[in-house]
Amino acid sequence: MGNLYHNKTAQWLAYAAFFAVLAIVPMRIDDDFLLNQLATYGVYGMLALSISLCWGFGGILNLGQGIAFGLGAYGMAMTMQMQTQTESNPIPPLMLNNGLDYLPMLWWPFANTGLGIVCAIAVPTLFCAIFGTIMFRARVSGPFFAIMTLAMLSAFYTIILDRQAYTGGVNGITPPSPLQFAGVEVDPYSPLAYWTVFFALMIATVLAKLITQSSFGLVTQAIRDDAERVRFLGYSVAGYETMIYTIAGLIAAVAGCLWVMLVQYVSPAQLDVGFSLSMVIWAAIGGRLSLVGAIVGAFVIQGAQSYLGDTFLSTWLLILGGFFIVIVRFLPNGLASLLEAALGLFATRKPKSSAESNGAEPVPAE
Amino acid sequence: MAGLLEIHNLSKSFDTIKVIDDFSLEVVEGTLCCLVGPNGAGKTTTMDLITGRIKPSSGKVVFAGQDITAQPEHVIARAGIGRKFQVPAVLRDLTVRQNLTVAFSRQTNPFWNLFRFRSPGLERKLDEIATLAGLTDRLGERAGILSHGETQWLEIGMVLMQEPRLMLMDEPIAGMTESEIEKTAAIFKELRKTTTLIVVEHDMGFVREIADVVTVMHMGSLLAQGTIQDIEADPRVRDVYLGEQEAA
Ligand SMILES: Nc1ncnc2c1ncn2[C@@H]1O[C@H](COP(=O)(O)OP(=O)(O)OP(=O)(O)O)[C@@H](O)[C@H]1O
Ligand SMILES: [Mg+2]
Repeated sequence: MGNLYHNKTAQWLAYAAFFAVLAIVPMRIDDDFLLNQLATYGVYGMLALSISLCWGFGGILNLGQGIAFGLGAYGMAMTMQMQTQTESNPIPPLMLNNGLDYLPMLWWPFANTGLGIVCAIAVPTLFCAIFGTIMFRARVSGPFFAIMTLAMLSAFYTIILDRQAYTGGVNGITPPSPLQFAGVEVDPYSPLAYWTVFFALMIATVLAKLITQSSFGLVTQAIRDDAERVRFLGYSVAGYETMIYTIAGLIAAVAGCLWVMLVQYVSPAQLDVGFSLSMVIWAAIGGRLSLVGAIVGAFVIQGAQSYLGDTFLSTWLLILGGFFIVIVRFLPNGLASLLEAALGLFATRKPKSSAESNGAEPVPAE
Repeated sequence: MAGLLEIHNLSKSFDTIKVIDDFSLEVVEGTLCCLVGPNGAGKTTTMDLITGRIKPSSGKVVFAGQDITAQPEHVIARAGIGRKFQVPAVLRDLTVRQNLTVAFSRQTNPFWNLFRFRSPGLERKLDEIATLAGLTDRLGERAGILSHGETQWLEIGMVLMQEPRLMLMDEPIAGMTESEIEKTAAIFKELRKTTTLIVVEHDMGFVREIADVVTVMHMGSLLAQGTIQDIEADPRVRDVYLGEQEAA
């Protein structure tokens, strides 16, 4: 038997166990505030998952994941805001306060809840598809692509900050009541909200895992290894890079929607460079090559920040930075590689079979 | 019979240096053509131009009746040209099995590949090629740890997995032992029954054994072309290439 860490059946079992633990949580907790906070960690987990998919598996470092997250969040906030507008009061206050006495066209789709949510997810996804196509066709890659995403993020940040009458500027949008969906009010502090995030995270993780195990996932890993070589095998590298970048963007956009559902608030801070960088830090610390590792990274860092951040205040960032440096220096594949090494030790004590497999093919009864 | 690959008056300059100079070549389907010439003659550059890695300054490359000049690499590969690089290029972080699987590129569309978890015919083909390349016991290993000879074999195996109509092999036996070379020669002789090959090689013994046609390049142009006997008898070839080889 090879390293259990690379055994596909074991991986799926570990995923099942992980989500079983997350499913028990709401039954054990009757503090609404805590439940809401844990649900937001689930959203951060989705973001770390999207980074792991794009960066860990695709080799594309994306420092601007806040674009997809932020646009998704704004779309959701606009939808929720419009839900509270009535016929006698059709214009959101943020416009009236900024001297706009009509609903701008940008907001029209969000007057309909279904269409609004679809737009909240589709617009950032489409943006990723277009931006990715342009960049990857031109063979922009590695640090150059990372810098382009950073520049794009700053551009979006500035536009949203600047167009106060449309976006609420620095104050953002604060929908006064919770999301109404299909006749149900999704109270952010209810188990319903937690379950919504839980299922979104679980579906995203399972789909991401399936993607990494598909033929697409194998080609993507080949491209991460040596993009130049893969072209000569007949694969359009740009097509694959755009696809993985867009899928990651889609996950982040959904995360943005869920986040607003939980906090009833959005502002340019969600497109802040620092926030997008922390997504990368979560994935790096948890282990960018492991989807669940990245999610755990987000839980650990955000959890620590909530509880230790208050105690240490400004030194918290120093502690986080130091921790990050230690991980990058000594554990380049994050905390997940500790588990890999541990299981590896265990495996070497047993006679090793030569046909250990770790790829796109089914694992024989191991 | 028209050539499967036709190169018409190809030229390529880097800055002011003309590396390929009005080079023309026709490779007939079902033959094995050896491309020889001294170091720096432009053999690898010719392969770069055929496979789209670099774009020619002028001239035309026609494959199976289709103009492929300056097309993107993956389009040329899909048209049916597979290539082994001079410096063996395999995917070092992936396993041998994964390398061969990726090279089995019948379906290249990223969208459809999202929904594919096994390719029909893969297992049989993979077994066959792994056996041929002597890598059956190494399928689970990371390609980065293979020996030089094994890496050469893996890359040859990858080209075979692609099932191309034309195979370009840049110095396939460099770094191989005598017995490995013999095995390679046997395989190439088998391959030329069903496919077309262009092989760049310095080892004249190997060339003598496998070549149907030998093309000699010198300073970016065609110096001579013919059977191995013609070439070895050609005084110009002796001057620029073979003489230097015998001296070495
Ligand atoms: N990118 C480049 N820029 C400038 N000169 C180049 C470039 N690539 C190749 N050359 C030059 O082109 C010439 C032909 O190189 P090429 O690699 O095609 O030779 P070759 O016939 O494959 O030689 P060898 O037998 O050593 O592999 C050499 O003089 C080389 O220095
Ligand atoms: Mg060469």
